[in-house]
Amino acid sequence: MSSHDLAYTEPEKIKSLDAEFLSGHRFPYQEDLSLVEDVDLMASTPGEDINWLEDVALLEEDGVPAVFDRYSNAFLKIYFPIPEGREDEIARKVLVTHLQSGNSYGILLKELHCKFPQPELGPWVEGSRTVGTDYSPPVLEGWEKPAGH
Amino acid sequence: MAAVGERQISYDARGLAEPVADAPRTAVVEDGVATFDARELTTRTINLELRRLLYEEGVGEVVVQNPQGRHSLGVGILRRCRIRFEGSLGYFACGLIDGPEIHITGRVGWSACENMMSGVVVVDGNGGSLTGAAMRGGDLLVKGRVGARTGIDQKGGTIIIGGSVGSMTGFMMQRGRMIICGDAGPGLGDSMYDGTIYVAGTVKSLGIDCVPGEWTDADTELIERKFRIYGLGSPPEFQKFVCGKVLYNYDSLEPSEKKLVI
Repeated sequence: MSSHDLAYTEPEKIKSLDAEFLSGHRFPYQEDLSLVEDVDLMASTPGEDINWLEDVALLEEDGVPAVFDRYSNAFLKIYFPIPEGREDEIARKVLVTHLQSGNSYGILLKELHCKFPQPELGPWVEGSRTVGTDYSPPVLEGWEKPAGH
Repeated sequence: MAAVGERQISYDARGLAEPVADAPRTAVVEDGVATFDARELTTRTINLELRRLLYEEGVGEVVVQNPQGRHSLGVGILRRCRIRFEGSLGYFACGLIDGPEIHITGRVGWSACENMMSGVVVVDGNGGSLTGAAMRGGDLLVKGRVGARTGIDQKGGTIIIGGSVGSMTGFMMQRGRMIICGDAGPGLGDSMYDGTIYVAGTVKSLGIDCVPGEWTDADTELIERKFRIYGLGSPPEFQKFVCGKVLYNYDSLEPSEKKLVI
């Protein structure tokens, strides 16, 4: 039984939540190396080297090569064959593509939940629109504040 | 009467939070660089002016004059930009940042760059204790000395210290790299899980489960690259320290707990 099936039948047994589970679908750059080959890692990060991507490496989730997306606390699985010797580079390119495209679940949540103005796509895309300018706390329908508060 | 969830905080007994404030709009923008004098501004209004310029005006470079050692300046900046503080900052400077390249021409207090996600911070002077605490990524260079527990709970990124570091530096370090050009105090790398600490000077004593590591070509490449990027001259000879993994029991952790340290 896959983790996706298990999530619905026995959610208490779920041990992992990958990016495609959170989003409800798989992304093209998880399956096609050519879609990430041209990513410029140096240009995508601050400073004169790859900065925070230095800590990003190819890992494994559910027996599948994967890169960890710290912005949504989830793994992003990689389904295409990864050329030998380029494991970490490919992992970094897939992750940057994921973040720049705005598909990271953490980014999707920003519009709804961020409390302070900030660029939607963070530092990964220049000129990204600002979200969080009109935050209002969610109100649970039918809930009333307890007396005395 | 305020609706549910719409409580407006307007009083802070400590007189510190200044919950109601507006950006002062005093910056002068010239050739894409915004400059403003922080001498007469409060912590809150300095940060509001910074965010207004960076988020609303889309300015890519800001110079803050006379920060006068105020605490918590430059926090939570979440875009690629350049910020220059002309002077010293107090504690919790430039924490929770993701993307900016910051230059501080003076000193910083406790916990500078705590929880930094990415970016570059260069401090010309000294730093206090807890410098780079829980840092997740990016480069932090303090050209002077720093206090105790530098890089505590570091989860990524590179901390470079031009001088010496205090006791318990690298305490509970989980990932990342620390390059110390001076001496290290007692308890270096105590209870570290992972990561690498390089020390050029003497080490007063190693902490629990911190052991000398084997030098590789990757270590040489890292040291030479960082020294070149930040113009630190020729690197001295470093000793390398890593986790001995005697206390290592990750395999028994639940996957969700493992993610906390990735």
